[in-house]
Amino acid sequence: MLLVGFVAVPGLKAQNDLQISKVFDQYGERKGVVMVELTDEMLDGYDFSLFKSITIKNNPTAADFIRKCLQKDQVGAKKVKQVVANGVPTSIYLQLPRKGQLYRLILFNEVLNAERKITLIYIESKNDSEDVLKLILKKK
Amino acid sequence: MDNSMRIKINNRISNSEADSLIEKYYEGLTTGDEERQLKAFLSKRNLPDKYKPEQAILGYFDRKAPKKHVSLLPYIRWASVAAVVVLGLFSIQRFTADNKANYAFIDGHKVSNMHTIKSQALASLMDVSSSTNEVEEGFKSLNENESIEQQLDVFSSTEK
Repeated sequence: MLLVGFVAVPGLKAQNDLQISKVFDQYGERKGVVMVELTDEMLDGYDFSLFKSITIKNNPTAADFIRKCLQKDQVGAKKVKQVVANGVPTSIYLQLPRKGQLYRLILFNEVLNAERKITLIYIESKNDSEDVLKLILKKK
Repeated sequence: MDNSMRIKINNRISNSEADSLIEKYYEGLTTGDEERQLKAFLSKRNLPDKYKPEQAILGYFDRKAPKKHVSLLPYIRWASVAAVVVLGLFSIQRFTADNKANYAFIDGHKVSNMHTIKSQALASLMDVSSSTNEVEEGFKSLNENESIEQQLDVFSSTEK
């Protein structure tokens, strides 16, 4: 039972198999960073099983690290959208393979202005990720 | 207190008294109290050898009361099971607590106010969704460029 408890804990967190989980671990509690985690919460009318976001400003190292993580995570994922500026991806939407009943999405954006704000979002939802994307698009 | 003292005193019998009690014992005439006195006498150490047969018969020859063997194994087994159950529940509870976490870290400071957390979450969603504008604008401008190229193609075709 103890073994099951310890083995099940990491297994149940679906984002743990992703490289981007390292971004949240490494940068989440730093200065100049905003990290959010919401579990089983309604967010503006939408039911997310898990919502994780991280916003980092003026940190090109973090941006490069995120891009490297995304390169690995996009293997087997459906690339919904990608914007490349000067050969560097600045916006990436990934639809990941389902994990059990959960649809999973990764959204990344870097604003190429003086602030160079990077936003990385990881979403798990029981609802179709297409619907989640529609919701996000609706917000613009 | 008097009773216990009396019993204690009564239990102390001399060798000659013991001899007579032994005789009575063999004849089957001893009372319960007398047998207890005799047993107490025979259980003493350093008695003359002549009492050894009686000690053997009455079963008091250096015999100690058998110690009750208390095995700790079942207790250890149950304690182990209980510990495993408690730890298992603790790890599941800990996982559940972690999994149900709603929090934000702003500049390294943990925030648990739901309103702030949700507004930060929405802000990050807005950041990403605003990029969708950029994407669409990119597509739009791409389409515009394509239409310019098409228009230029029209001119180039007329030149031919």
